[in-house]
Amino acid sequence: MGKRNWISVLAASGWLLLAPPSGAGELSAAALETAHEVTRSQASAELLRRPALRDLDEVLASGHINIGLYQDFPPYAYRDEQGEARGIDAEIGRAIAAGLGVEFRPFWIKPGSSLGRDLGNSVSRGHYLRPTQVADVMMRVPYDRDFSYMRDSTGEYINKSVVMFGPYQREQWDIAYDAGRLEGEVTLGSFRQQRIGAEYDTLPATYLTATMGGQLRDGVRHYRDVGDAFAAMARGEVAGVMAMRGELEHYLAQYPQHDFRLAEAVFPGISRQQWDIGMAVRESHRQLGYAVEAIVDRALREGSLGDIFQAHALVYRMPDFYAEILGQTE
Amino acid sequence: MTQSFPIGKLSRPFALTALALAISAQAQAVTFDDMLNDHLTTDQVVTNGMGLHGQRYSPLTTLNTDNVHQLRPVWAFSFGGEKQRGQESQPLVKDGVMYVTGSYSRIWAVDAYTGEEIWQYEARLPDGIMPCCDVVNRGAAIYGDKVYFGTLDARLVALDRETGRVQWIKRVADYQAGHAISAAPIVIDGKLITGVAGGEFGVVGTIFAFDAETGDELWTRPVIEGHMGYVYENGEAVENGITGGEAGLTWPGDMWQQGGGAPWLGGFYDADTHTLLIGTGNPAPWNSHLRPGDNLYSSSRLAIDPDDGSIKWHFQATPNDGWDYDGVNEVISFDYEENGSVIKAAATADRNGFFYVLNRENGEFIRGFPFADKITWAEGLDENGRPIFNPAGRPGNPADVADERGESVQAYPAFLGAKNWNPMAYSQDTGLFYIPSNEWMMDIWNEPVSYRKGAAYLGAGFTIRPANDDYIGVLRAVDPRTGEEVWRHENRAPLWGGVMTTAGNLVFTGTPEGYLKAFDAVTGEELWGFNTGSGVVGTPITWEMDGEQYVSVVSGWGGAVPLWGGEVAEVIKNFNQGGMLWTFKLPREYAQ
Repeated sequence: MGKRNWISVLAASGWLLLAPPSGAGELSAAALETAHEVTRSQASAELLRRPALRDLDEVLASGHINIGLYQDFPPYAYRDEQGEARGIDAEIGRAIAAGLGVEFRPFWIKPGSSLGRDLGNSVSRGHYLRPTQVADVMMRVPYDRDFSYMRDSTGEYINKSVVMFGPYQREQWDIAYDAGRLEGEVTLGSFRQQRIGAEYDTLPATYLTATMGGQLRDGVRHYRDVGDAFAAMARGEVAGVMAMRGELEHYLAQYPQHDFRLAEAVFPGISRQQWDIGMAVRESHRQLGYAVEAIVDRALREGSLGDIFQAHALVYRMPDFYAEILGQTE
Repeated sequence: MTQSFPIGKLSRPFALTALALAISAQAQAVTFDDMLNDHLTTDQVVTNGMGLHGQRYSPLTTLNTDNVHQLRPVWAFSFGGEKQRGQESQPLVKDGVMYVTGSYSRIWAVDAYTGEEIWQYEARLPDGIMPCCDVVNRGAAIYGDKVYFGTLDARLVALDRETGRVQWIKRVADYQAGHAISAAPIVIDGKLITGVAGGEFGVVGTIFAFDAETGDELWTRPVIEGHMGYVYENGEAVENGITGGEAGLTWPGDMWQQGGGAPWLGGFYDADTHTLLIGTGNPAPWNSHLRPGDNLYSSSRLAIDPDDGSIKWHFQATPNDGWDYDGVNEVISFDYEENGSVIKAAATADRNGFFYVLNRENGEFIRGFPFADKITWAEGLDENGRPIFNPAGRPGNPADVADERGESVQAYPAFLGAKNWNPMAYSQDTGLFYIPSNEWMMDIWNEPVSYRKGAAYLGAGFTIRPANDDYIGVLRAVDPRTGEEVWRHENRAPLWGGVMTTAGNLVFTGTPEGYLKAFDAVTGEELWGFNTGSGVVGTPITWEMDGEQYVSVVSGWGGAVPLWGGEVAEVIKNFNQGGMLWTFKLPREYAQ
């Protein structure tokens, strides 16, 4: 029995006799028709334990969009004390929702062991415990052709069920240091004598404990997140913190009373010192991706995207793609 | 929670029915003596392991190699609901009532004669749970008038055995940090002891003991060097010694602070030495090059004083683990004679492919040998049981490569281990261990492009592959005195269920293909099989009621195997999920 038959059988048997969505009066008759279809497909998703895989029309008709955001990840996305979604990615998500004329709904993502896993759990399949819950669009997905077209040992494209698009930021590694404790030009070598902090299980943690033949290893202190590492630097526990530049700029602004600075350090041996950040949708929902990309593209060209970063104390850095067309503004 | 009181068959002795129990409100309390004698008692199963030592050996002979072909189902019980996935539980039986746990932290009391439900309890799990390896539960503990089990949100729940009503619920660890409990807890002389699974990076594996009656915390013992253990006196935490003496002996920098080592499978008890024998998980971070040193006590076996959590001895199977070889597999106490004297031994079959025989009084290595067909990470064991590493068998350091994909290393066994969680059995008659094992390998390489939480990352790629074309699972009969493999039975899919053996010269285990099978314990000849309708990844038990011998096992395919792709997925892709408790018996007329 096909999916449509299932739905009609279930509807006929009274399973899906749901009230029309509130606010239906504001919708056209055609949209209302579609809205019923959408309600049906969501209800059947619950019954059949399938992800609610919504295309652009379904998103528009439902009146809301689920924007996938990494949780507890300032300055990009986090919840404030009232539970409201805050941060740069949340604001971009609001701009996308406004551009589509729908309500913004955050879909919180707990990061897994790899991006591939996050894409599966949050966008394409749903987590096996919550298979009906997926985001329509996921933010902060690296935009990297090598990653997008990576193949497994049998030659299959690993990330074929999603499409990664819409680069909106250039990210890079850097070190923030305490100028009260380190003088002159600060490089990796400065941390032979001084301790340096990093977030657990990130590239900085791996890199710092391995680089220079392990010379820095004993001086690396591991923290739950970059915020904790900065708090440790304020206590004098470490003289520097290695992290993403966006995170460092955010926390530098949180500690104006300290003389913390960016080192503009170079990291020999790291193949990707800089990378671009974009978004992802399901491979079958490219049309939704085009609509979202158009909104973000306009915001980037008009400068409102850069304003969001500046409002969060970050210097806006365009992704490579735009820097070539528009010229780097930094 | 739902409760129902079945109408028992009045034709059988009234006092033995669950109905009678429910009315009389007087189920027999389970005592510590009951548990100490569980391996000798035939009319009940009151411990995980069919004995506190975990030998899974029944002295029953009613069912044997001559009549096992007459073993037949008498009832089946569905776990119901929409929730299926892996069923890895071992049932318990007391006074005609069976206690069995299921996926998604559920537990039932069932009439052992009829399969009718007495009560059900379903833990209300929060949305945010993130168990690493399916939503399994591996069984309950019963003691006094209560039944205990752990939940996926890292709580211990104590229920009244008769009614299923909650007596207390104790939060053991924070599920939001990735903790979960899937193992059966153990009760040792009134102390309810559990480990905890998982945990985000930055967490240290810990063993917890609670007062079984009240749920009050009694002691904690972190398993990683440098962390303080505590005993609780009148609610106050009192320091009880640092694990491993001091920090930083076998770990660089501050890495001992987040060393991993989760003791996620729980332990067994040796009454002779009054010791909890429990294993620890692999160390963190996963890249072994970042933490030169042995990284104690990760991937180890620990002998723990159940009274206060002190460590009596340790044995580390995989120092500086770089292959995900958790050391959690069960340690089974057994005695054997050598040159006229009795050796108090303990045996364990590690994920890393080696079988170890230890002196359980002091942890000294007696002997060890490979039980897997092929091991590439080590060339063998030295006289102390320490592996002789093969340098070419260790995955490269991802931090060493610039742009190219690093060299791929083939490692035998795969990260899921030559033997995983599913328990082996020891026969006192044949003197053999029956090991449910798997022949698979992995390719590990450094990922050229890898991302995590919006950032570039130095990741490793790995795939798991069968080592042979036609089988992965191997049930092995191994002599712990010689290392000889006496017989083997190969199975196409990986074996993921536990093993039981009996004095009737039988060995039982299940297969992902759905069969519960019985083998001749001496020859390995397959004597009986029954297709339960879904993969069997639980552990069978046997007992007798009214002079008839019964066998029970849960059925329901799942666990960690289907969550990993690779070429193993080809073998298992058509297996359907389930959730059913099957009970068989040998009818009286076929018993000799």
